[in-house]
Amino acid sequence: MKKLAAILVPLVLVAAACKAPAPPPPPPTPVATPVPPPPPVSVAAVTLGNAIGADKKVTAPSETFGTKDTIYASVDTAGVGPAKVRALWTFVKGDKTAKVDETTIEFQSSGTATNEFHIAKPSGWPKGDYRVEIFLGDAAAPALTRSFKVG
Amino acid sequence: MVPEDDDDMPDFSDVQSGASSTAPAAQVYETYEVKSGDSLSKIAKNKLGDASAWKKIFEANSDILKDPNKIFPGQKLKIPKS
Repeated sequence: MKKLAAILVPLVLVAAACKAPAPPPPPPTPVATPVPPPPPVSVAAVTLGNAIGADKKVTAPSETFGTKDTIYASVDTAGVGPAKVRALWTFVKGDKTAKVDETTIEFQSSGTATNEFHIAKPSGWPKGDYRVEIFLGDAAAPALTRSFKVG
Repeated sequence: MVPEDDDDMPDFSDVQSGASSTAPAAQVYETYEVKSGDSLSKIAKNKLGDASAWKKIFEANSDILKDPNKIFPGQKLKIPKS
């Protein structure tokens, strides 16, 4: 028995030594990096004034207007996707409010956009306090609010 | 609760409004709340300056209007402006 072991053990060791090297591990499967979804459309800024340029931006920002002014709100948006921007203009007298106008712009945003909303009253604006609230989509709360005065 | 549209508040029914965007193919519409005595042609005359433009308003609100002769106070209509 010892003789047999003496023969077999070296043979096993030799066989093990001659064993073909293990194949290299396969290269790691590339993991697809998920592309983050584009940022949703958001309101970047709202500026008020009584005139705009060809770029839809207010030329001279102001928060006080004359009774015969056309009042502009220039709204910068950023993001990609369907956009719905609504401007709600309101007259404010103490704790009472009266809706002046509500206008919506819908568009397909591919990055940044400048949108202008305007209101005019040929018979003249009542003097007092006003505000414009800018809503995105069907949100109940405004994304941004700006107050202004007439007179 | 803030009271709205009180009788002692100014009248803003003659306000002219509009909007535009640098984004191509932007659609603009005013939201108008139907008052007692309104008809689509009356609204079209007041808001678009042409009573016969009632069809534009009817088409813009086809999701809520099935009959152009049936509008109700409190309904909110889209008045297309582009």
